[in-house]
Amino acid sequence: MLTQRLANIVFAILVIVACAYFAVVAQGFEAAGLLASSGLPSRFFPQLLLGFTALCAAVVLYVYASRGEAGDEGQTVFASSAEARRGLLALAAAVVGYVVWLNFGYVVMALISGPLLCLAMGVRNPVIYGVVLVLAVGVYLVFTQLLGTQL
Amino acid sequence: MFDVAAVGVAFANLFDPFTMILLVVGILLGLVIGILPGLGPPIAIALALPFTFYMEAVPSLILLLAIYNAAIYGGSISAIAVGIPGTGAAIATVMDGHAMYKQGRGGEALGLSLAGSIIGGLVSVVCLTFIAPVLAQVAIKFGPREFLAISVFGLVVVVRVAGANLFKGLLVGGLGIFLTTWGLDELNGAERYTFGTYHLYEGIPLVPFLVGIFAVSEVLIGAEKALKRIEFDKTSLTVKIPGMKTLSKLKGNLARSSLLGTIIGIIPGEGAAVGAFFAYSEEKRRSKEPEKFGTGIPEGIVAPETANNATVGGALVPTLTLGVPGSPAAAVLLGAFLIQGLAPGPTLFDERPDIMYSLFLGLFLINILLLFIGLFAIRFAAMLIKVPMTVIVPTVLLLSFTGIYAVSNSLFNVGVLLAAGVLGYVVRKLGYSIAPLSIGFVLGPILENSLRQSITIADGSTAEFFNTPIGLGIYAALALTILWGPISTWVRSRMAGKVEDP
Repeated sequence: MLTQRLANIVFAILVIVACAYFAVVAQGFEAAGLLASSGLPSRFFPQLLLGFTALCAAVVLYVYASRGEAGDEGQTVFASSAEARRGLLALAAAVVGYVVWLNFGYVVMALISGPLLCLAMGVRNPVIYGVVLVLAVGVYLVFTQLLGTQL
Repeated sequence: MFDVAAVGVAFANLFDPFTMILLVVGILLGLVIGILPGLGPPIAIALALPFTFYMEAVPSLILLLAIYNAAIYGGSISAIAVGIPGTGAAIATVMDGHAMYKQGRGGEALGLSLAGSIIGGLVSVVCLTFIAPVLAQVAIKFGPREFLAISVFGLVVVVRVAGANLFKGLLVGGLGIFLTTWGLDELNGAERYTFGTYHLYEGIPLVPFLVGIFAVSEVLIGAEKALKRIEFDKTSLTVKIPGMKTLSKLKGNLARSSLLGTIIGIIPGEGAAVGAFFAYSEEKRRSKEPEKFGTGIPEGIVAPETANNATVGGALVPTLTLGVPGSPAAAVLLGAFLIQGLAPGPTLFDERPDIMYSLFLGLFLINILLLFIGLFAIRFAAMLIKVPMTVIVPTVLLLSFTGIYAVSNSLFNVGVLLAAGVLGYVVRKLGYSIAPLSIGFVLGPILENSLRQSITIADGSTAEFFNTPIGLGIYAALALTILWGPISTWVRSRMAGKVEDP
């Protein structure tokens, strides 16, 4: 199983790399026309924060890499492989739902995202699928009929 | 101090039938969402936000405040009945509440938590009513340096209480603030991290970001534990409101916990969970029989429940007067103000006192009605504990998606919601708290503007930068907050050393 130590080390490195990337992007910020000379440059605050965030990430990295503990020694990110599977599949189902909405519209997304999430969670009881679909229809009706939203 | 005409308008606003219906609906919804484990007040408010888009300011804010108040109380019902806190604020209630329930005294435990919640809520509303207008009068004189000090104070405090690792808190706090720098620079029009899309000209939208951070990340975490069934004995769910004799015995506890909760609520960033824990440990520390805490005693229920509801009024003090959220739930509530075109801050008291008084009066009424609704609804509402996560997860996700789309008519915002949810999920799985992330995101624009203006005003002089008595007072309070723990530990160790070493 993925340990907190390894996951936090990878996350801290990713944060540092992202901070460096965004700091370089910030170098290219250009103020519009006459406003360009007013006050501090636009890149000042983002770069200040990126430096601060990278510094914190470096400390977190050091804590996990050198001592290997930060109050969560020996712990794993997921309690079991089944939990990891359910969480990550649910995440994938949510993303798929959004992509379906972008390409096929709201109704298709509303009809498939619920059952997809149930599948991701390993639901076998057909009643649950039925209840989820009924609730999805309820959400659709509340927004379209009661609130007048065009979905 | 009070604008009589505005108070009159507030009464008229509040007793409008539609507002009253929403108030009752809000209490019921808050109870339901609070009871469901994992779905706390920020999520409850976030899910209701899209519905307020279609309402006037007063009914919409009353609905959300009713949800906020009732959700904090609702968390105690599942904490007592099944030993699973419905909200973080009810974690401290589990120890004595569930122990009492297992002894067959569930009705008594529920009654104590209801009475404590209402008393704490009412005391904090009184404090809010008197403190907020005065603070607004002071805050109207605040300049960039004072707002910078307040924002730094709020952020540091929330980072300090958010988790064991300070640097992890600072990291996500910095990340939250950084994300607010995306979009057009308000001061000079520069495009920052827009990546060529006009959707980002106004930056990352607040409401989808907060709903994603709270609701979507919680849904994903809930999906992991979806198959665990909750069983409980429903025989002792009839609420028994404590009599005057019991309340009189607990009056010191009620008074202390109410004030502690209110004060902790006022401190920017501190939430109901901190208030509840603080009050619980304070009562345990003062008790002549501290060993009885955790075995099912009334004091162990009254202290956290009174304090957590008292944080509601307290959290609204900085939110309404300074625009600095007093808790993660108040951060989401700020989104509701923005949807209504209102900018919380000192000027709002001058411009729309009627709205402010409507909220104060509304909070009074919410707490009083919570007593009656709580008495009758708990038994039925508690049945919701059995609703499986496999039903809650898809429904909450669909509600979040649809709600965000309904507010903005933008699929881009739904994408922001999802991205924020994934970010929230990842950081929570890695042991980070999302409170600094959300508070940082709300405070980011205030911080940037006040810092840049302060530097310009200071014109290179460090002395001028800190030449603000109010700001210095806030920095001193911050230093005291940070150093208080180590200093008191040091003093106690010295005292203990002297006692042992005559």
